[in-house]
Amino acid sequence: MKNILRELRAERGWSQAELADQLKVSRQTVNAIETGRYDPSLPLAFAISRLFRKSIEEVFLADP
Amino acid sequence: MEKSSHERKVFSRYNAELFGALILYGIVLTITIYVGEPLKNGLEKTLILITPMGPFLLMIWVIVRLLRRVDEYLRLTILENVSIAAAVTAATTFTYGFMENAGYPRVSMFAVWPVMGAAWILVGVIRCALDR
Repeated sequence: MKNILRELRAERGWSQAELADQLKVSRQTVNAIETGRYDPSLPLAFAISRLFRKSIEEVFLADP
Repeated sequence: MEKSSHERKVFSRYNAELFGALILYGIVLTITIYVGEPLKNGLEKTLILITPMGPFLLMIWVIVRLLRRVDEYLRLTILENVSIAAAVTAATTFTYGFMENAGYPRVSMFAVWPVMGAAWILVGVIRCALDR
């Protein structure tokens, strides 16, 4: 599953650690999601989309 | 790399709890060796010498608390690393067991723990290298 988390974070000028703080996760978790090595659980995906005021489908894109 | 405050909080609490459990284990171990060693073999000596397993159970509880506190990705990676390390340990100790049949010296079961620890570190290092 692809996502635009890195772009959204860059728009706000946040570091991975700053984003991780807001999501109450580790920096490695943010890094793993951004690089596509890890697909988050539904609760975390909802938390991410809520934080950026977007729908889950706008942040996470299903592989074709 | 910078850690998130969530991560710092979780791991500083874990380190404090584990350190406390280790100190308690060390104290109980020292006392039981001092008191238990001179005794004759039997139930009383056995019970005294296995008393350090009380604080050891505390360490298990500390690890369970850590796994419940860390976020989902860290929990997954920790459990994956431990699983792979356990499999590597099983392969290593089985191999040495067969080597003992071929005449190699008998080694205490306690040797399994350093093998497990080394395998865990090795798996962690390889994962870090691959994740870069």
